[in-house]
Amino acid sequence: MMVQNQIKSRVRKTSGLLITILTFLFLYLPIIIIFLISVNNSTRGYRWEGFTLKWYQDLLFNVTNPSSDLRIFREAIGNTIWVALRSTFFATLLGTIFAIGIHALDKKKRVKMMVLNNIPVVNPDIVTGISLMVVFSLLSFQLGESTVLLAHIFFSIPYVVLSIIPKLKRLDPNMYEAALDLGCSRLSAVWRVILPNISTGIIGGALIAFTMSIDDFVISYFTSGIDFENVSIWLYTKMKNPQNLNPTLYAYNVLIILITIGVILYINLKKDRKEKIS
Amino acid sequence: MRRLRPYSIPYFIWMAIFVLVPTILLLFLAFSDLNLYRLSAFEFRFSNFTIFSEPFIQRALFNSFFYALIVTLISFLVGYPVAFYITTLQEKKKKFLIALLILPLWTNMLVRLTAWERIFSANSIFSDVFGLQIPILGTELAVVIGLLAMYLPFMIFPIFSVLDKLDTKLIEASKDLGASDTQTFLRVIFPLSLGGVVSGFIMTFLPSLTTFALPEVLGWRKVPMIGMEIQKKFILEGLQPFSINQGALISILIMLFSIASFVLITKVDKEGETLI
Repeated sequence: MMVQNQIKSRVRKTSGLLITILTFLFLYLPIIIIFLISVNNSTRGYRWEGFTLKWYQDLLFNVTNPSSDLRIFREAIGNTIWVALRSTFFATLLGTIFAIGIHALDKKKRVKMMVLNNIPVVNPDIVTGISLMVVFSLLSFQLGESTVLLAHIFFSIPYVVLSIIPKLKRLDPNMYEAALDLGCSRLSAVWRVILPNISTGIIGGALIAFTMSIDDFVISYFTSGIDFENVSIWLYTKMKNPQNLNPTLYAYNVLIILITIGVILYINLKKDRKEKIS
Repeated sequence: MRRLRPYSIPYFIWMAIFVLVPTILLLFLAFSDLNLYRLSAFEFRFSNFTIFSEPFIQRALFNSFFYALIVTLISFLVGYPVAFYITTLQEKKKKFLIALLILPLWTNMLVRLTAWERIFSANSIFSDVFGLQIPILGTELAVVIGLLAMYLPFMIFPIFSVLDKLDTKLIEASKDLGASDTQTFLRVIFPLSLGGVVSGFIMTFLPSLTTFALPEVLGWRKVPMIGMEIQKKFILEGLQPFSINQGALISILIMLFSIASFVLITKVDKEGETLI
């Protein structure tokens, strides 16, 4: 009986491992392909023609005579990053304020506000995109960079709120009251007592906001009009003839992954060190 | 902390402008001849409904629901064991695997799509390097596999986060009281993880239902899906008479599903803890 049970749990464990490995392989297959195209010595990138780093070089250092394609692509990258930085800043700022406000509500209202907060999270992107497009045209906003920025701030705030609320729940509410009793003004009590205690949530929320903005396609597509292109929109218009896709695109994507890994490792290391000291 | 309540008021107004107003506007558009780009007097009418009798739209609707359902079910059958397996690991390995699962999502979705396009093409970089040919581009199978690759992680995350928070004492108690592993799973673990399962179902079903770039690329536009139709009505044919009204009507149909999902999610997870 014992032996049988042991065999059973062994089998279960191995099949769990097996299905996990297969799943990861499946999810990483396109990533491997993206990496391969980025180091493939072929302009069209369709067949494998040997290793090169020239696409990275082209993307980063070719300033003397970039092709017009590359120039437009770089402009799209610039747009993407500039929108992402601004939307991350505003979404983090507003999301933090809103999260603190929501947390302070009594339970019934808090749940209602959280339901409202989660609508854009659950809603499919296409619905959010269309809704924003319709609102912008109702307000007679000209579709372009500013509407894309506004849209990105809109869909990022709920994620910032979601990542801050759990930290607020762990905070002792008496701390804030104590700060007020000791003569702190309301604002400086928020600044000195609440913010330091929820900083990990704020950083986490900002990271999510940034990565969501940089990779967004659908919502940008519906709110950008015809004058503004970020990387996704640029790629979508190019995708109709895939043979025109230059491998610098894939080099850019690999770099984005590497940078994101770097930032997250850095933040985690810093957190570990902080925990060791305290 | 009660003094901080006013901080939430602007958020309510903000959400009203960007969620409530467009929903109402879409409803008006769907049931009238209102022109979005030239707002003026309008009449309510139901003739927008005729699009549902177009065979192409019917096929797109059927495809979308059918694929989304298949993809969600497969994601669940694969994702649950994966999430479960990861929770059984040590803390360090657990964190590493979850990070590894998030990593592919940092690449642009469209770029991943072009990668799948190569995988599904004959004589591509994929076949050169791996010595394997899967030339299924333009078929339903390619679309379904592509959807699975895009949205499977969104099934795993919420299930993992619920399973990981599960009180291990409950499992021990169940075993002490004589339940077998299978019984413990079916009667204790699974029911307690239902919140994550529901979130996972919704987070894979809704995006698969509404995607439009994916069937365009992997299905070569030969496999119609409803997202493509919505996009066509709003953007490509946006200036034609009643096109946006018809698009709005299809969107309302999709929104009904998202509202239903929403009601379901708020039942199992009031504050959205499984959503992130």
